[in-house]
Amino acid sequence: MTTAAPARAGAGSHPGPAAAPARRRSGRGGGARLAPYLFVLPALALFAAFRLYPVVWSFVLSLYRTEGTTQTWTGLGNYERLLNDPLFWKALGNTALILVVQVPVMLALSLGLAVALNSALLRWKPLFRLGFFLPVVTGLVTYGLMMGALLNQDSGAVNWLLQLVGLPEVHWLNDPFWARVSIMLALTWHYTGYNAVIYLARLQSIPAEHHEAAAVDGAGPLRRFWHVTLPGLRPALLLTVVLSTIGTLQLFDEPFIMTGGGPDNATTTIGVYLYQTGFRYFDFGYASAIGYALVLIISLFGLVQVKLAKEED
Amino acid sequence: MGGRIVGGPSRRGFLKGIGAAAVAAGGGSVLAACGGSDSGGGDAGGSGELSGSVTVWSWKNPAAELKALIPAFNAVHPKVKVTVQDIGNPAIWDKITIAMAAGGQGLADVLHIGVDYLPGYIEKFPGGLADLGALGANKYADAFAPGLWQTVSRQSKVYALPWEANASGFFYRSDLFQKAGVDAASLATWDDVIAAGKKVKEATGTALLAVDRSASQADSANLFQLLLQLQGTFYFNIDGKITINSPEAVRALTLIKEMNDAGLLLDVQGSPGAPGYDAAVKAGKVAVCPNPAWYGGYMESLAADQSGSWRLMLPPAVTPGGSRSAIVNSTHLAVAGSSKNQRAAFAFAEFALTRPESQVPIYKNKGIFPALLKAYDDPAFHTESAYFGGQKYAEVLLEELSRPSVPTNYTADYARALKVIDDAQTKVLLQGADPATVLRAAADQLVQQTLRAQA
Repeated sequence: MTTAAPARAGAGSHPGPAAAPARRRSGRGGGARLAPYLFVLPALALFAAFRLYPVVWSFVLSLYRTEGTTQTWTGLGNYERLLNDPLFWKALGNTALILVVQVPVMLALSLGLAVALNSALLRWKPLFRLGFFLPVVTGLVTYGLMMGALLNQDSGAVNWLLQLVGLPEVHWLNDPFWARVSIMLALTWHYTGYNAVIYLARLQSIPAEHHEAAAVDGAGPLRRFWHVTLPGLRPALLLTVVLSTIGTLQLFDEPFIMTGGGPDNATTTIGVYLYQTGFRYFDFGYASAIGYALVLIISLFGLVQVKLAKEED
Repeated sequence: MGGRIVGGPSRRGFLKGIGAAAVAAGGGSVLAACGGSDSGGGDAGGSGELSGSVTVWSWKNPAAELKALIPAFNAVHPKVKVTVQDIGNPAIWDKITIAMAAGGQGLADVLHIGVDYLPGYIEKFPGGLADLGALGANKYADAFAPGLWQTVSRQSKVYALPWEANASGFFYRSDLFQKAGVDAASLATWDDVIAAGKKVKEATGTALLAVDRSASQADSANLFQLLLQLQGTFYFNIDGKITINSPEAVRALTLIKEMNDAGLLLDVQGSPGAPGYDAAVKAGKVAVCPNPAWYGGYMESLAADQSGSWRLMLPPAVTPGGSRSAIVNSTHLAVAGSSKNQRAAFAFAEFALTRPESQVPIYKNKGIFPALLKAYDDPAFHTESAYFGGQKYAEVLLEELSRPSVPTNYTADYARALKVIDDAQTKVLLQGADPATVLRAAADQLVQQTLRAQA
């Protein structure tokens, strides 16, 4: 989930650094003035073809009702349809549930993990860091399939283990409640280490003197964590909250592969619903409207989060 | 469902990388005049020897059989170069959809299409499929099992030739029935089946049927659909109006609920042909498979050790005296509207589907049941099957196919209808919801999504 965001940011910022060094040389001659633009051109052309065009065209599409190859102007009709679509609200609710339950739990785990990995008492640090970070390297489809296989009701290793210790088998993927739990477990496995590494990097930049000073003043470990570690981590906390929020709102791969959005839409996220609408039902106009509703929601969340963070400063 | 019909189990569940996207109809020789609007017999448009290249998209078993036909086809049309590609099922539907949405870019010339997708392609992509009437298809209007010509034609245009016709089979374990003292011949309605299921469960501990309760795959409502078809109805009526809220639909879902409440359903992941379902059959965990005809041949290799235990009969009626036959799905060969070589493409489809010499070996090799009536005279359809305890099992299916059948209108919104039905069934099977209530909600949702009216 969070990987989408950094990747996107990387692509978007490409023209910037490429343009900067070119500027220094400008003004020497007529041809040289063109040079920077020529250097920027490939990136711009690719950006226009594969980012800008879909972004603009999908907005246009969202104003039409699609029937195969025929488009009928409907203005805001698709958006109106969204407001009255119970499945859209259900998808939104499912996504919100993951956001409210899974993200805080995962970030708390990451924080604990980062502090532990940063502890002077811990030995074999690189091994542990690698171990916790490795899941994020796994491709989304790969780990989705893997989780699906592990959690399979009849042939999965998890149920086999449960029965081995005398526990009843769990319908991990085909019960509405457990399917949600399964998705959250998978997400947590995949992204906890990733967030922990971000915290760890930040932790190492907090000067040891701060801790020492606090200790001299009589602060115990808990108070030091609360008054020294957490404030020092604030920029990293904000970053991970924003990335995880955006990633969760865009969530698609895990539910698509593990549960297909089921059972009875219990794990249908906005991303899954968008895909079904566009590529199962060929309703590209409505799918585009869902996409733009998502853009709107993500922008609102982003604005609020950044604003809150600024106010605290 | 239609998609999976033939040897249906095509590695679904895996995001199979689709092979070469190749397919250039190129190769020169743009013979195909097509477009001649006069239908009728004979070779329409252009004349002279066929040449050029033709690409065919199909999947697994049928693809292999089409490939095997190429040498014989080339004996008649030596200058046509045919390439058959196994795209895989269900990958083929996405691939056709995307190519059609792109105006036919990269689309093959001949397309193997299931009944559940055909109406969608016809309605949503006008011109996406060629009118075969203009190429001489109309002379075959009476060549196929009743009902199928209506499936492939619309308003005097013919969009495909029928290949495979799957009557619904009611496969049952005669050994388990015997142990439980159930006489299969006495099962006239599904109420009888439920009563028999209880006896079988009590005497042998075996479940009656396997169902994917959580609808982990799209085609999880096969039984519901069969129960509708046996009542002469479907998700849409012939005018395209929504009928999933009909008394027949409520009756069908109520029957399934009764089976569930009585503990007669075994929960599996996937439908016939998928690993979860097949494993249950193989392990002898179910007494009945109300599956399409193809499952008979498929079972022979799947559960070879149960040879002699299985029998086939017509599916019982839903209401006393009601219909006991249903063509639950069919597949077809169509020619792409974008094909530059439509005459040669049609010639290949015609060669494969309208000659008993092509269809009989395909049935013998892979159990793919032809829609072609002329093929039924072949002894292959009248031999005793050792697997089915000496029963002339194909004759049961022939009888079913020869009965008049109600054409099923899948419409372009079948995928959506199937989804709301899957969800409704899941609510009933997992949460004990009331069939009438969930079907009413499902119908409302389908109206909202498709702007179709309720019948």
